Amino acid sequence: MGWAAFFGIWAFVSAVILDEFTLPGPLKVWNEILEIVRGGSWADDFLISISKTFMGFMIALIVGVPVGYMMGRAGYWKAFFHDGVVGAGSIPGIVYAIIALVIFGIGFQGPILAVGLISMPFIALNVAEGLEGVDRDLLSMSTAFGRSDRQALRHILIPSIMPFAFAGVRLSFAIAWKVEALTEVFGSSNGVGFQIRFAFQGFSIAGVLAWTLMFIALLLLIERGLAIVERWLFRWRTWEQAA
Amino acid sequence: MSAATMSRQPGFANSSIGRALRSSWGARVTSYFAFVVAWQIVGASFFRVPTPWETLDFIWREVSGGDHGGVRPGQFWEHFSATVPRFAIGISVAFVIGVVVGLLIGSFSFVRALLSDVLLVFLALPAIIWAFLTVMWFGLGWEAPVYTVILSAAPFVAVNVAQGVRAVSPELRRMSDAFGVPRNRRIRSMLLPAITGYLFTGLRFAVIIGWNAVLLAEWFGAVDGVGWRARLWYDAARYKGFVGWAIIFIVFIFLLDGLVLSPLQRRAFRWRASPSSDLKAEVGAVDTESFTNTAIGL
Amino acid sequence: MATLQIEKLTKTFPPHSKDGRPVRAIQDISFAMSGQVFVSLVGPSGCGKSTLLNIVSGVDSPSTGTVTVTQDGKKARLGYVFQDSRLLPWRTVMQNMLYVSDLPEEEGRANASKYLEMVGLGHAHDMYPGQLSGGMQQRVGIARAFSVSPDLLLMDEPFSHLDAITARSLREELQVMWNATKKTVLFVTHDVMEAVQLSNRIITLAHGGTVFDDTTIELPFPRKASDPEFAAQQAEILGRFETMELERTAAKG
Ligand SMILES: Nc1ncnc2c1ncn2[C@@H]1O[C@H](COP(=O)(O)OP(=O)(O)OP(=O)(O)O)[C@@H](O)[C@H]1O
Ligand SMILES: [Mg+2]
Repeated sequence: MGWAAFFGIWAFVSAVILDEFTLPGPLKVWNEILEIVRGGSWADDFLISISKTFMGFMIALIVGVPVGYMMGRAGYWKAFFHDGVVGAGSIPGIVYAIIALVIFGIGFQGPILAVGLISMPFIALNVAEGLEGVDRDLLSMSTAFGRSDRQALRHILIPSIMPFAFAGVRLSFAIAWKVEALTEVFGSSNGVGFQIRFAFQGFSIAGVLAWTLMFIALLLLIERGLAIVERWLFRWRTWEQAA
Repeated sequence: MSAATMSRQPGFANSSIGRALRSSWGARVTSYFAFVVAWQIVGASFFRVPTPWETLDFIWREVSGGDHGGVRPGQFWEHFSATVPRFAIGISVAFVIGVVVGLLIGSFSFVRALLSDVLLVFLALPAIIWAFLTVMWFGLGWEAPVYTVILSAAPFVAVNVAQGVRAVSPELRRMSDAFGVPRNRRIRSMLLPAITGYLFTGLRFAVIIGWNAVLLAEWFGAVDGVGWRARLWYDAARYKGFVGWAIIFIVFIFLLDGLVLSPLQRRAFRWRASPSSDLKAEVGAVDTESFTNTAIGL
Repeated sequence: MATLQIEKLTKTFPPHSKDGRPVRAIQDISFAMSGQVFVSLVGPSGCGKSTLLNIVSGVDSPSTGTVTVTQDGKKARLGYVFQDSRLLPWRTVMQNMLYVSDLPEEEGRANASKYLEMVGLGHAHDMYPGQLSGGMQQRVGIARAFSVSPDLLLMDEPFSHLDAITARSLREELQVMWNATKKTVLFVTHDVMEAVQLSNRIITLAHGGTVFDDTTIELPFPRKASDPEFAAQQAEILGRFETMELERTAAKG
């Protein structure tokens, strides 16, 4: 019913309150989407955008996990990174796009950097939180049975942090995807953001809406997918809560 | 500290400077210092990136109306005073709309079923799309920024208010039913205290998201305002101007958040004993959950 | 069978609050045990029992004094059953067993199965701890400790979180397992009846972490609480507890 309502309201606003030109209705946008799909290069654009997002994420993980680890382990590093990590969350997305643009100009590295910068704090914060929650009793169990530090890392520390790190990834995905597109709007020669900008400059409202709709659909799909993977990966948690 | 203790613990690490550096204030100061150094290094190695000093110099000229190498004088206040009313009006309208819609969604399950997916799409829409659409609708001027702020920020207020309403516990509701508490007293004593916190969280999201939105809309669709001014420097390939404005954007939102919104929110939550973990308490100004929620909206 | 030697052991923790005094959990404890014995350590809450076990197991370190656990002159293998089960929630029962195993994969599995079978959890290999009841989790903890073929087995109030009926059946299982393996066991409890039922020797600690009393129990196994001699032993130990409390109040003035 929710989706029916969404398209219903959209069609109503388009047909009755505004007009077909100001706000093209769902049908018109659907035709536009078909047009884009028939054009064929859409898959490339999405693939390019997704792989930039993915690479940015990798960077965020490579930097964010150790930073979070340090924050969770030592009071000094917590204080050291605190302001930066927390502040980074309220910096407008446009600033990240600007920074990326200034450093790399119009190139594929810009969006990657922006994604990395914006998702890193979330991952770090979540890892730190996970680490603070590690059960010390489990660690002493590990010592009592003569397990090495490496074993404890692999079987206790990492599994305790993983759900938090993953939640960080899932929750920052939406923002990463948006900032990636934004950076492409500002400066890129391919990708979804570039296409949206292109439609805007051609004054094609239907075109902007069509690309946006595809963009949102993919965002929601990936978000749902990640949620399912998360539930499967950490299925032991549901039982733990139930017990 | 007495001389005796000092002489017993010689060496830098134990000196009072060493200890100050290792304290959490020391860590913070060190981190800012490290940031500036890192910026300096990046500035020196990428030719487009200005150094901290050049940027600071630019900001000063812009704010004081000083000279930018002969061509354009600084015009900070002119553009700032164009943007702030757009931002303020947008936020106020977004807040009102968000509260009304949020109350409806939270109170009536029928409205929730009807609007939850609409809301989801609105939450997922990047602000840049609203900026483009409003520019195409209204052309260049004050309308695009204001409407972009409203359309981007309102959904976040609505979501938070709806959550607040639904957080009023069913037990309290049933208790009020059992005692036959009149409607207006119910709203005053039960609903309002329960949703105040959510209202403030919603307001903070609105501000952070709205600020981003107004900048984007001015960048693409205005003839004055801070966003437009930043673009001017970008188009002129004067990168220190561009970065200088990015810094101003950050400082503005930090000041607004740190000096106005967080204290307000903390006051609103006074009645609550904070059960949060250490880190969350530390993070304080932006607790992890709202922090994460903000992210989705930028 | 291992030899445990504790000499002049003290343990002091840093003060709990800024201007508090350091906490003396253990003061000058010495005793030794070796061979096929089941030794119980009883005493009031907070007298340092868990601290002592943690030091013996190497989780904690002594402030002064020495603790040595040897097995024919070599370092001994330890097993530990905790007050709570301390299983890794993200690993299945079998994976939890394998975590502490040093055997090759296949052997480790067979060995783990054997001990899980012994505690009646042969069917639960692939379940997560969250899916088990508290009593079942505790059984896994016991199986885990036995499965490493420890030279010395440490147990810290393993049944105190369980209901009386479950505790009783697990106690009986423990006795059967001990009779089958005859490990050297150091068992902490504050339940005197439990101590009398299971052990050859009972060491009583007093408040402040000193040894108050050390008694050998020579009743034949299996012991029944209905046996008059059992009741007599239990009464005697409880009597000593009373003396201890009296002395303590007297010392306070
Ligand atoms: N990590 C620690 N830091 C500081 N003090 C501690 C620590 N562990 C134990 N103590 C203190 O040492 C004393 C002995 O504690 P311990 O846990 O050994 O008692 P216990 O005999 O096992 O008691 P119970 O029967 O209640 O389990 C207590 O006063 C306790 O507060
Ligand atoms: Mg204890």
